[in-house]
Amino acid sequence: MRQYELMIILDPEVEERTVAPSLDKYLTVIKTTGGTVDKVDIWGKRRLAYDIQKKSEGIYAVVDFTASSDTAKELDRQLGLNEVVLRTKVMRADAK
Amino acid sequence: MAKAVVRKPKKKLNPLKAAKITVIDYKDTALLRKFISDRGKIRARRVTGVTVQEQRAIARAVKNAREMALLPYSSSAR
Repeated sequence: MRQYELMIILDPEVEERTVAPSLDKYLTVIKTTGGTVDKVDIWGKRRLAYDIQKKSEGIYAVVDFTASSDTAKELDRQLGLNEVVLRTKVMRADAK
Repeated sequence: MAKAVVRKPKKKLNPLKAAKITVIDYKDTALLRKFISDRGKIRARRVTGVTVQEQRAIARAVKNAREMALLPYSSSAR
């Protein structure tokens, strides 16, 4: 088990109050495989430094979680398949 | 004969030490913006005056921040 930090950019057209519940849903893989979600920080809408998929804004969220490396990889894969997710970054918390 | 000019480079103060910053995080764009030029390029170490290790950490952080669209790859001023 390791500590990870996930940053995720969501489509700005998503309703802002549905972000937290849907984020929870994406993170279920962590809990089902015995990991824990330690902190969820939703930054809200933010201007992107450059357009991603023709969008100039995005909803940012940062999630700290503890999970095995396989789980982290699987989570990243699942998020990549999701069309609402513009971009993700999973980093080890100690690799700063 | 012209005398060879010996230039004494002015020692730069380490801006990170001055601000007591130990961890360089890619999310801290306000800090990272000090280390990139107007056009979005990473400033050289001789300009920033930080240590080799810090410069490396800054470069990595800037590149991570660029991937997440927190910082520009290039801001075309021209």
